[in-house]
Amino acid sequence: MRVEVQLASTLPVLAPLVAAVLVLVLDAALPGRRVLHLGVAAVGLAGGALAALPGLRLVAGDARTAFCLPTGECLHTADRLVSALQVTALLGALVVLVLAWREWAGGDGGGGVSGGGAGGDGGRAPVVVSLLLGATGGVAAVPAAGDLGTLLVSLELATLPTVALVALTHPRWAAERRARSVEGAVALLATSLVSFGLLAMGAALWVAATGTALLGAPTAREPVLLLLASVFVLAGLAFKISAVPFHAWTPITYTTAPLPVTAYLATVSKVAALGALVVLVRALGSVDDTTLLAVALLAALSMTVGNLVALVQTDTVRLLAWSTVAQAGWVLLPLASLSSRAASAAGSYLLVYVVATLLAFVVVLVVAQGGAGTSLEGQRGMLRARPLLALPLGLALLTLAGLPPAVAGLVAKVVALRPVVGDGTWWLAVVAAVNVAIGIAVYLRWFATLLSAPSTTGPGGTDAAGEARAGEEARHTPVAWWVLVAALTTLLVLGSVAPVGII
Amino acid sequence: MIDSLRPAGRQLLELVPDLGAGWVVLALAPLLVGAVTLLTAGRWPTAPGHTAIRAVSVGAAVVSSLGVAGTALHRPGVELPWIPSLGVWLRLGVDGLSTPLVLLTSVVGVVAVLLHLHVPPPPRPAPLEDEDVAATSPIPLVRSIDVPGLATYHACLLLVLLGALVAFLAGDAILFFVGFELVLVPMWVLVARYGDPGSDREGAAARFLMVTVVGSTLMLVGLLGVATATGTSDLARWAELRGEGIAPGTQAALAAVLLLGLALKVPVFPLHTWLPWVHATAPTAASVLLAAVLLKLGTYGIVRLVVPVVPDGFALWAPLLGGLGVTGVIWAGLACLVETDLKRLIAWSSIAHLGFVVLALAAGTETGLQAALFGNVAHGLVAALLFVVVGGLKHRWGSARLSVARAALREGTPRLGAALVLGMAASMGLPGLAGFWGEIGAVYAAWAPAADRPEGWFRLYAALAAVGGALSVAYGVRVLREVWSGDRAEPRVPDAVRTERLALRLLGALVVLLGVLPVLLLAVTAPAVEAVIGR
Repeated sequence: MRVEVQLASTLPVLAPLVAAVLVLVLDAALPGRRVLHLGVAAVGLAGGALAALPGLRLVAGDARTAFCLPTGECLHTADRLVSALQVTALLGALVVLVLAWREWAGGDGGGGVSGGGAGGDGGRAPVVVSLLLGATGGVAAVPAAGDLGTLLVSLELATLPTVALVALTHPRWAAERRARSVEGAVALLATSLVSFGLLAMGAALWVAATGTALLGAPTAREPVLLLLASVFVLAGLAFKISAVPFHAWTPITYTTAPLPVTAYLATVSKVAALGALVVLVRALGSVDDTTLLAVALLAALSMTVGNLVALVQTDTVRLLAWSTVAQAGWVLLPLASLSSRAASAAGSYLLVYVVATLLAFVVVLVVAQGGAGTSLEGQRGMLRARPLLALPLGLALLTLAGLPPAVAGLVAKVVALRPVVGDGTWWLAVVAAVNVAIGIAVYLRWFATLLSAPSTTGPGGTDAAGEARAGEEARHTPVAWWVLVAALTTLLVLGSVAPVGII
Repeated sequence: MIDSLRPAGRQLLELVPDLGAGWVVLALAPLLVGAVTLLTAGRWPTAPGHTAIRAVSVGAAVVSSLGVAGTALHRPGVELPWIPSLGVWLRLGVDGLSTPLVLLTSVVGVVAVLLHLHVPPPPRPAPLEDEDVAATSPIPLVRSIDVPGLATYHACLLLVLLGALVAFLAGDAILFFVGFELVLVPMWVLVARYGDPGSDREGAAARFLMVTVVGSTLMLVGLLGVATATGTSDLARWAELRGEGIAPGTQAALAAVLLLGLALKVPVFPLHTWLPWVHATAPTAASVLLAAVLLKLGTYGIVRLVVPVVPDGFALWAPLLGGLGVTGVIWAGLACLVETDLKRLIAWSSIAHLGFVVLALAAGTETGLQAALFGNVAHGLVAALLFVVVGGLKHRWGSARLSVARAALREGTPRLGAALVLGMAASMGLPGLAGFWGEIGAVYAAWAPAADRPEGWFRLYAALAAVGGALSVAYGVRVLREVWSGDRAEPRVPDAVRTERLALRLLGALVVLLGVLPVLLLAVTAPAVEAVIGR
């Protein structure tokens, strides 16, 4: 059997993986050159994103393929939506890399997230970098998968390295803090094992039902078995996207992992889960009513539970973790309809969500690095004290809430609701409408904290001391972080002036 | 004589150049630029003084109102593709339905930015026996002063105006929704940050936001449903289709979702509970905008998005809607008889007036729609006038409680007193003032509803609405007796300052003008009303 290989279209996946190998080789040849390793990683991610860019120009129905069988089916298929997901994942990973750069490069004398990053064991940086690259390669491969084998392998490639990323903490952290992050890693590991079990079971049933591992248009010999298979696969993927009731790991892992890794889990990993869902939905074509109802229930439960719990959080990272759960419901929402553009709608929503969440994480990290911690109270009065940070954060929050002036978020909500309303699933539409209101309460609570008068009993003492502290922080904040804030803010503003709508 | 003046007036209007889309830009751009300027200026190390801030703000509102006037005169249209993948166009323009409302918005907008902001200090716990003894309290300051955050306050006012104008000008359902939502965050800031610190202002602001957001998202669900059923989000196309191709069951569901969402905004009884609380807390200018502009978004939404778009669905719900409207008239009228806070009382009277508007809409005739549109504008002007007076009084008195003995307005502050008398008279629906035509039209329309409405029910509504009109006279007289008449002269408070006099004269003149010459407004709306009802 001849397999037609077209490496050019797999470059978005290959570039980060090649970079991962290069980093490991470089580490063996030139140990201790951490900045070089990080540079190679950045080039790999940026190169992958560049290679995926031409895919955005594809017209509907066209795709870039690789590993094509003589029968015409391809194991790697990247159309416009897949390319957009790949670009999102790779650029998101690049943002995380920049965020973690100083901590991982360790040794410029500045304070890391937990203060003091000098020295450390130099052997760790190449490991974490290659783990990040490996996971990102997996994420980029998932949405393009054309058969169950590729799907499962790339999903695990996207997940397992993140467990290690959560566990490999900062060497200077206190023993108790490290123990907690191991706890988070264990939660993540247990979850991913269970979900892999469900996925493998689903895949086996799928093959039994259709007689092939290829995903392109299955001819169901056993419709009931195929339905069972899709429910198993759906449950497995619900773990990854942290939809209720498969969400229990999310708050534990998010709060114990180092902040850049949390940002990675909340954004790039979600792209993998959604990519897999998109592959599944496309393969099933006209989905069974039962699967639709299952997706609808997952969506409704996720957004309701996520929003309600987020409403009472007092820590920004925990709040973002629960907001992730709620937003997972919004991403799932369009998939609960029969619309042909449901997958594109979910992808478009995810895109806006990733940009806004990354921006929120960058700002939270900048504030935390300044010593104010991640508590909500620590950001009281930020709009007056540090407007350059508070305004982008406010924009990100309004985008997540879907309120103008952040029209990008509002259009994303419209895009996500449209297929559901088009189908006439009124109960789901009304649940979503109520959740818009609760979501706004969640994000505006944070926004109100930014807006309110600064607390007088803060650790900064008098105004002058506070200003001095802010000035000192500003000097310690790397320029690259400001560039990230500016770039992500520009993206949101552009998306608000000229919204993309559906990819 | 009027006939000889007409050609002269027409020649005068022809002197106004036709800038085409330039007029729309002139209407919207100053508000956006002004708001952004003020928001950035507020962050400068040395914040600008109140004179500069007010100059920018008033300038932006005045230039914008010139743009609105030009837009209303020449009716240019803007059409640009905005979100191609969703088929959403940036369509901005006016027709007979929206012209009165954009003009109302810009007039009320100028009034709102003119008013001075005074945030009273948080109340000190006073000894119990000294409470309510205000005779020796200092005469409050009513000049413009440097209030912290004044620039943000004015920026929020301009953004509210911008959102309302976008919604009224929108020719596309999604764009209407964007404008509708754009007013929320600035309005929330206005109430939460500049509201009365003596009350639970954050709670009031949150309640306003939650209620409105639930309403607007339900409306969005309905809009998306109509958009998928018709394949477009162009409002003009929707009105042409008149619900063709939408199954009766779907029409009923869409009308229910849309009406429920908009009824929260209007607000229609029994969804009105948020309004008095928010009005009692909001600063004067925000109250003026809320009553005169934002509530109109709800009634305008019903006229624009429900009546012509899903006519059969609307006909199904109209008897219920009319019943709720007239219940609101009676309920709010009774509440006004016992309410002890003057600002809340005016808010209740707003609910009563909007009940008339909703009843007129539900009747489904041309007369009803005319009465509703007229009542809309009349209520906007009267409520703005009353809130300017009452907000000013609340600042001077320190609170708006009616149980505390105050100096009689007739003696102490004759100008404010005269404005209050005019406003209450218009609110009672006395002939010769703007309030009359909307209410008499609503009662008449309910007496003779459209052919497919249950006549018996609507006649009952008409009778009840007439009783509600009598109630409005009763509470109007109550207000005048409690605060206007009498001869008590202590504690002294200052009379209307220049900006207030300007605002009150402008609004008062318009109230009288529309009362004497209602045809000015009816002629503008008549062709559009025929198109909406036309069958």
